[in-house]
Amino acid sequence: MNVYVTGLGCVSPLGLNLEENLSQLRAERDGLVKSKYLESRYKDEKFFGEVNLSTPALLQSIRIASKKGLTRTDALAFMAFEEAILHAGLAESEISESSTAFISASTVGGMCLTDELYKDSTLQRPYSEYANAYNCSAHTLRIVKEYEIKGITNTINTACSSSANAIMTGMKLIRSGRVKRAIVGGVDSLAKYTVNGFNALQILTDKKCTPFDVDREGLNLGEAAAYLVLEADDVCQSKTKYAKVLGAGNTNDAYHTSSMSDTADGVTACILEAISDSCIAKQEIDYINAHGTGTPNNDLVELTGFSNVFETIPPYSSTKSYTGHTLGAAGALEAIYSILSIIHNEVYPSLRVTKPIPNFNTRPVAQYTKNTDVNTVLSNSYGFGGNCTSLIFSDR
Amino acid sequence: MYIIKTSSISPQETSSGLSLDEIKPYTGNKYCAIEPNYTGLIRPAQLRRMGKSIRMGMGAGLPILKEAGQVDGIILGSSEGGLEDCIKFLNQIVKYNEGALTPTNFAQSTPNALAGNLALSGRIKAYNMTHVHRGLAVENALLDAILLFEEQKAESILLGNVEEISEYNFNIEKLAGQFKADEICSNDLLSSQTPGTVCGEGSSMFLLSSKPQNAMAKLVDVGQVCYPKKSEIVEFVKAFLKSNNLAPQDIDSVVIGKNGDHRTDFWYDLVCDELFTSQNLYSYKNLVGEYATVSAFALYFACELVTGKRPPKETILRQGSEIQNVLIYNHYRGDQHGLMLVTKPMPGAI
Repeated sequence: MNVYVTGLGCVSPLGLNLEENLSQLRAERDGLVKSKYLESRYKDEKFFGEVNLSTPALLQSIRIASKKGLTRTDALAFMAFEEAILHAGLAESEISESSTAFISASTVGGMCLTDELYKDSTLQRPYSEYANAYNCSAHTLRIVKEYEIKGITNTINTACSSSANAIMTGMKLIRSGRVKRAIVGGVDSLAKYTVNGFNALQILTDKKCTPFDVDREGLNLGEAAAYLVLEADDVCQSKTKYAKVLGAGNTNDAYHTSSMSDTADGVTACILEAISDSCIAKQEIDYINAHGTGTPNNDLVELTGFSNVFETIPPYSSTKSYTGHTLGAAGALEAIYSILSIIHNEVYPSLRVTKPIPNFNTRPVAQYTKNTDVNTVLSNSYGFGGNCTSLIFSDR
Repeated sequence: MYIIKTSSISPQETSSGLSLDEIKPYTGNKYCAIEPNYTGLIRPAQLRRMGKSIRMGMGAGLPILKEAGQVDGIILGSSEGGLEDCIKFLNQIVKYNEGALTPTNFAQSTPNALAGNLALSGRIKAYNMTHVHRGLAVENALLDAILLFEEQKAESILLGNVEEISEYNFNIEKLAGQFKADEICSNDLLSSQTPGTVCGEGSSMFLLSSKPQNAMAKLVDVGQVCYPKKSEIVEFVKAFLKSNNLAPQDIDSVVIGKNGDHRTDFWYDLVCDELFTSQNLYSYKNLVGEYATVSAFALYFACELVTGKRPPKETILRQGSEIQNVLIYNHYRGDQHGLMLVTKPMPGAI
């Protein structure tokens, strides 16, 4: 059973839709800013990949009847979901079929309302419209209700690999014959909670992040929502197919709760499993959209993993240099960027790399590269708890 | 897929491997887990740093991992993860005005921390997944395991759930109107005829295998639907059975998730009054309370039933025939409805 990508939708620091994201990627313009909307003392100190609209404006722009209790996370999810289903030309009836699954992902959920959460969890007020909004699955359930989705629905949280696992799960459900179609992806919005968490772990840089540079100092946090429509052969014959989901790998590094092993065990096994699941030779991979957070640990370990797998490391870059780390949305957003590379035969660079990490005899793609054959792409996502996921997309 | 071994930490004495003979009654709306002595299982230094959810999850999961040695996957279902750690970190943010904070609570608060910790403890570098889809997190975890076995990518899997009562989720769910205002005894919970239920917690873990050797039960299939109309629920259950080539009369026992909330318990009556009028009928939330991933406890209970353990009288709503094919029907707040089909593992069974 072949699994095709027939629709894409995203909202990110690079723009409110797919087209805006593409033009920023091509122009090598990042979306890293001092925050306008985050309520945190770090809003002016750090760079953030912030979606350039206030929460009320985001909520204004989505067309659903009842907006009570909706969070920024929900609004971003609705926007990207709507674009993806329109892009795939799905009818309302198709979305409600029992053979349509919806698999989403989030790590922050409604905790973007960190202060509200604190008030409600300490009973500082008698009633809150947000009491049902904090859970990681809140956005999924709002979408399920709004679009009357009757098939398999799910929300995954494996930290920063969450939405890569949502894509993998959708692919597996279609392969198994249980569903014909799966809308897959994830969302996260900037939150005082995560900003302080990553800050406490001392992996946020004050500058714009520089993944794969020897002097990288850490990551920038970002926010986004990204959804893909996956369909089985027999329901998308007459449709535009943007790419094929070839395969996936999922492993655990089993080394440390918040850092990865020097030997890159999880990373290596996960890439190898994705290659094997895709039934391709590793030489067929034309480009790697790396996890590439910009932390000293991640980028070195990821490169070690590449060198464990490939005799010659394929061209690679981290588009987190444009968007920051969008956590639960990152896997799906970067899958979309990978597919844009396939559709347009072009590669978007790792921005701001001046001195590449030494000893690997390789450097990330440094500028926007047009007219280059990109047929098969590997996209990596790694998370706390040792969670590693690799996805492979192709034009075949 | 087959269930080889089970383990459960719950508000009842399940952690020492006892069956449910001595049922502990509860009054009020918090049914807290009876935790085992973790000595010998978790190192004291580690134990001190663990929040309750990680502690219970490790307490239920490690004995299974120890016996299994290696597994080919770890799959968890948890709606909230480590809420105690979450609120502790929130408190730090407020108290120190986002100053220099310690990251331990943050790292432990993510729902995937338990699956990561279990992997870490046994150096299990295999498939690792955490489902957080509230009232269907466990059903999705089981579906994930079914797929992994079908793909022949695993022969054994550790699967389970964890949920803890913390101030944070208790207060928030209280605001959302989930819990009873009056203090009520667990013996009277299901007949209370008032809004709201009681809050439970716990962790149930399962060793799953693709092969029937040494199995205590077979998990045949799982089903799910969100926000059904009242008129659709009977059809949903029938369609699930039909997709497994079964009719309602092939089921001899039904485990239902009644929780004493009169606003949503009618769903169970809709299904049972139409499809299961003479079957054995069991409840379990009057023992362990309500929480998003409590259907994992229902699966633990169903395994007890098919292995011939005598069910506690508190769970028996109706009993007569022999137990062989069990349907678990659970819903969360009337929004998310899940089904599990559990049978004896013998050849010729469904």
